[in-house]
Amino acid sequence: MEQSDDATGALRREVSAWLRDNVPGAWRESMTGTAQESFVELQRGWFQKLSAAGYATPHWPEGWLGGGRSLAQQKLIFEEVARADAPRLILYFVALYHAACTLLECGSAEQQARYLPAIQDGQIWCQGFSEPNAGSDLAALRTRAERRGDVYIVNGQKTWSTMAQYADRCLLLARNDRSGPPQAGLTYLLLDMHAPGVTVRPISQITGDDEFAEIFFDDVEVPVTERVGEEGAGWAVAQATLASERGLTLVELSQRMRSALPRLADAINAAGRGDDSALQDDFGNLLARVDATCALADRYLHKRITGEEGPGDASIVKLFYSRTLREFTLLGRRVGGFTAQCERGFMRGATQETGNWPLDFMNSYNWSIAGGSDEVQRNIIAERMLGMQREPKDWHTVERI
Amino acid sequence: MTVSTTELRDAARQVVDDLGLAADEQDTWALVAELGWLVLEMPEADSGLGLDLADACALHVELGRGLARVPFIAALLAIDTVVQSELPERADLLASLGSGDRYIGVPLAETEVQYVGGKLDGVAHGVPAADRSREVLLWSGANDCIALVAIDAPGLQLECSNTWDETRRLFDLHLEDVVPTCILARGDAAHALLRRLRMRRDFALAAEAVGGATSILERTVAYLGERQQFGRPLAMFQALKHRCADLKSQVEAATALLEAGLAQTASAHDCAAAERAGLAAKLLANNTYTHVVEEALQLHGGIGMTSEHDCHLFLKRAMLDEHLGRGRDAYARMLAGGSLYDT
Repeated sequence: MEQSDDATGALRREVSAWLRDNVPGAWRESMTGTAQESFVELQRGWFQKLSAAGYATPHWPEGWLGGGRSLAQQKLIFEEVARADAPRLILYFVALYHAACTLLECGSAEQQARYLPAIQDGQIWCQGFSEPNAGSDLAALRTRAERRGDVYIVNGQKTWSTMAQYADRCLLLARNDRSGPPQAGLTYLLLDMHAPGVTVRPISQITGDDEFAEIFFDDVEVPVTERVGEEGAGWAVAQATLASERGLTLVELSQRMRSALPRLADAINAAGRGDDSALQDDFGNLLARVDATCALADRYLHKRITGEEGPGDASIVKLFYSRTLREFTLLGRRVGGFTAQCERGFMRGATQETGNWPLDFMNSYNWSIAGGSDEVQRNIIAERMLGMQREPKDWHTVERI
Repeated sequence: MTVSTTELRDAARQVVDDLGLAADEQDTWALVAELGWLVLEMPEADSGLGLDLADACALHVELGRGLARVPFIAALLAIDTVVQSELPERADLLASLGSGDRYIGVPLAETEVQYVGGKLDGVAHGVPAADRSREVLLWSGANDCIALVAIDAPGLQLECSNTWDETRRLFDLHLEDVVPTCILARGDAAHALLRRLRMRRDFALAAEAVGGATSILERTVAYLGERQQFGRPLAMFQALKHRCADLKSQVEAATALLEAGLAQTASAHDCAAAERAGLAAKLLANNTYTHVVEEALQLHGGIGMTSEHDCHLFLKRAMLDEHLGRGRDAYARMLAGGSLYDT
């Protein structure tokens, strides 16, 4: 790695000591069955502390508070945050990663100066990519952005936007031209969520939570100065957004899954089934898979550090994580039995390791559907990594064959 | 993986590819000796190369890819145990083992042997190419004695195990009042040496399984790319693509776990951590190997059921492998044992 073991050890001690003093206490209890407002309050408070200490933005360049950390140091901070069982910063994730990385890579100096300090102060962002008819096939999106003088007029609908009901700004991918191929004719805009014509409707999820929302745009005006990149170059900018957090998120998630294993072991023991050999087999197999998930995520991040990342590498990690998480929560559901079915409370911001097994199981679908479904990952692995032939683009050609 | 390990792996891949799949045992042994692979882990003070378990496992991966018939895992386990011992004739023994003139067999499965009154009784399972070895390294079921036994000692009988897999050539050794040639360790020292031996055996078997799984998946993907049905290559069907992608992610996970575990053996002073990493690596590698090869046979269709095709060689190796080491069910339960009651 890039630095001595001593320096790494010192940073690890510094971060873990800070986390010991600052992670909100008993947040799992206070977030169980709570209203979303108190969840937002917890997120705000935790973000302010983390941001002030510089641990919210280790991936930002030097010169920004907490910035200039190597990928190895960023990984270390993520690992420690996961190990300290701190709440995930769900409310700020899009701002800190998607928005910031897009602005740093593709934004103008003026846009960077305007938004990056605001993000560090707690400005909340959401992502406006997916649409009802453009999920896995993102390029099929239809929300329009029509240029009229110095503004774009935006009309259409976005969906699956995390925490959009609290967002100040939206990373919007919209269509300015319908004449060419689907990936051309897209424009990337920074849209003010408080502007006239924006309506947000939270989506009620199967878990009782509403982390996602639909956004409706009705003649919303976006100044041309809020465009990132050139008109029609939105697809390339969106790739920068999507690539921004890969690697680190998977390290954090796999670490959180490993940290949650004792919760499952406790549940097995508490159910008096520690000597059930069938459960021992399944738990042992799960342990190996969870360790392998961590090893895969570490290896992937290492490849990114050394510049050896190949096509499909990220998909391998995400797919293996999502399958392992499903098995993890399935085993929990099995151990939890009828009793677990009767506990309908839910915990906000807890990801999928609450120990409420039916809830965790349902939440595990977040990772096999969002951010490129398992099926999309399998296509990427098969075609780009294994070199298996693509299907003909034109469906009618296939029919004739 | 370090640069030197990568170079070793690349060189080994070339050698194994040139030999071809499941190449002849004697030819491969001669080559393994000539290339210095037998002295790979011997200390430099004993005229060895002084490399470590991660390097040895890089070779096991490659030999596993090629289903090599050579008893390389057993050979390295015996050599390491002799290196760790304080035998008076250690230096001479290492010289003849390192050159490949002499081979000591080691059981790849668990043994049912008792050491009482200076004599060994019982059965030792899974000794590869035992008919070619002058001695066999055996231990008592109670883990308190490790001994070298001459293959022609009175009371010792060899029985070829005749497994479905023909590439390992395993033997059962039946022992009745057999007097060992020499004792390598007793008591606590034997316990410690056997922990080490089993940990290394787990990693070696895991490495071979990872190599085998990688190889059969590559062959399957290549076959799907060539085989045409309904006017297009089978690889174009999404149903088959997705199955291959799942298999690929599992093989990559087993590989990553193996490499992470080996990195731990190199740096950790914690024997228990290395042992646990070996258990996890072996468990996942064998689960993956059997699953990949089961799928591979199905994906090959009828041709996979023919003896002229290579698919069955991998299937039989994988079916056997999951019973080697500490046994099919031991791994998951030992891993779970750290967290659950009564294991």
